Amino acid sequence: MAIVEVRELKRVFKGKKGESVALERVDLDVKEGEIFGLLGPNGAGKTTLIRILTTLLLPTSGKAAVCGFDVAKEAQKVRRVIGVASGSERPGYDFITARGNLWFFSQLYGISTKEANERIRELSTLLQFKEQLDKKLYMLSTGFRQRVTIARGFVNDPKIVFMDEPTSGLDVITARTIRQFLFDQAKERGRTIFIATHNMVEGETICDRVAIIDKGRVLACDTPAALKKQVGRQVVVMEVGPPQPFTFLNDLRGVSGVSSTIDNEKELATVRILVDDDAVEAQVHRELESKGMKVYASWRQEPTLEEVFIKFVGRGFAESEVVAT
Amino acid sequence: MYARTWVRVRSIYGEPLWLVVGIAFPLFTTFGLGFLYRSSGVGALAGFAVLGGIAVSFWSNVVWSMATQFYWDKQEGIFELYLVSPAPVSAILVGMSIGGFVGTAPSALLVGVVGWQVFGSAVTPSWALVATGFVLTIVALYSLGMLLASVYLAYGRQAESLNDSVMQTVSMFSGAYFPSVGSGSPFPVSLQLVVSLIPLTIGMDVLRKAVFSPLTSAFPTVYEDLAILAVLCVVFFVLAQWAIGRMRERGRKKGTLVVRQG
Repeated sequence: MAIVEVRELKRVFKGKKGESVALERVDLDVKEGEIFGLLGPNGAGKTTLIRILTTLLLPTSGKAAVCGFDVAKEAQKVRRVIGVASGSERPGYDFITARGNLWFFSQLYGISTKEANERIRELSTLLQFKEQLDKKLYMLSTGFRQRVTIARGFVNDPKIVFMDEPTSGLDVITARTIRQFLFDQAKERGRTIFIATHNMVEGETICDRVAIIDKGRVLACDTPAALKKQVGRQVVVMEVGPPQPFTFLNDLRGVSGVSSTIDNEKELATVRILVDDDAVEAQVHRELESKGMKVYASWRQEPTLEEVFIKFVGRGFAESEVVAT
Repeated sequence: MYARTWVRVRSIYGEPLWLVVGIAFPLFTTFGLGFLYRSSGVGALAGFAVLGGIAVSFWSNVVWSMATQFYWDKQEGIFELYLVSPAPVSAILVGMSIGGFVGTAPSALLVGVVGWQVFGSAVTPSWALVATGFVLTIVALYSLGMLLASVYLAYGRQAESLNDSVMQTVSMFSGAYFPSVGSGSPFPVSLQLVVSLIPLTIGMDVLRKAVFSPLTSAFPTVYEDLAILAVLCVVFFVLAQWAIGRMRERGRKKGTLVVRQG
């Protein structure tokens, strides 16, 4: 059964410089109890979609429903069954303890203090911040603040939790703790988790299904494994220096997509190239050398979600972010 | 509502500097004006300054904590958490008001007690009128604060400068430290009518009449003042509910509820 249904959803923002289309005819179904990932670069429309589904924004056209309730017409009913947590927001008020903040937000849902205290105890144990509960928020590290934010999203015992970049900017251990918590909530409690992220690891490790979104359009939606199968090509990774724009490689026959990350300190670029066959790799070598670059290392990899993204979008996340800025 | 009251009170007492500022500033102004009245030979009027000090404590809280609170919450990303919850925004505003009043009352009381010890005249106030006038003034003030909270959300970044201008202008024209309406007012009648829309103005007039009746004019009478205050309570409260609902729907349409500025 679909807990989230999105049909022909469109959202247009009107500004002084004209209109900008944030979402264009988006169709999605999210099943109950699954972890659903919305994968896309900055500005792809992920946050706009989450804001519509959490009743903060109205769609320009189309329909969206959460737990069967229309987000535009039955907003109050939607608000009773959802939880929200974002990686960029504050967990609450700085001069109040983590426990106090969690209790306060539980009261917005009309939960009894006894029940709230029980949930706070359970969530702080699962997310491993029990010792920090009676510290004021401004005294907590970024990692613990984020754990409190995540706990806040679950304190009202929601059927579905919407999360925007939940592990953004966190250390590996905290990010892993949070991912494990989300995984357990879905698999053991049957809660639906809707994650908007540009973190490939999140998409690959915990999501049951992933939708790839770019420029307001959903380009593909399936399990990570099925999406990777769709790539059907090989990935060549090269370490190249000195770094230069690599977009010219897209013009080579047999190259389906290129993404790169640049290490300015080492003056080295790691280039990921989606190639159709072995012959293309040699041609790429020649092209790079003809532009004055040297290939220091080269190896093959299984396709990742990044390659899936490259296949559907034609560029990697890094390039998208450069374009966005 | 109770939860938001709790947050407001904890926030006020969570930062000692805010507490000191909340007590010291009105107290300094009270003492300054009280000594001025006394040295000018109208020591009996020094009691006006004490009432003004109490009123300004609450007015500061309404302007700096009520009106701007949602704006700050929006900047911090907390406002959207209210909006995605089923709690009515009006209940959150009422909670903020009660918390603001409870948090400010001790400092206002301190200003009153200390000021009265130093400048208190031998007066026999009508306590029933004082209490009625005080309650109506507080309700009208905080209702105005709820209305301003919606206005500030719409105005965004200009909120701080708007706050500065509102704070000083209202302190001046509401006559916190001198009679600004009635026969003792230095303002023309047209201006008196305009400033009568500020609950603080009428509230101060009621308190002055109830405490120092021989020193103030007969028109408007204290009962007319109370009636105006009651009307302002209802008007501001209803307007605040309407404005917050409209702000929410407008924000959902235009996408301005969660766009952080600055």
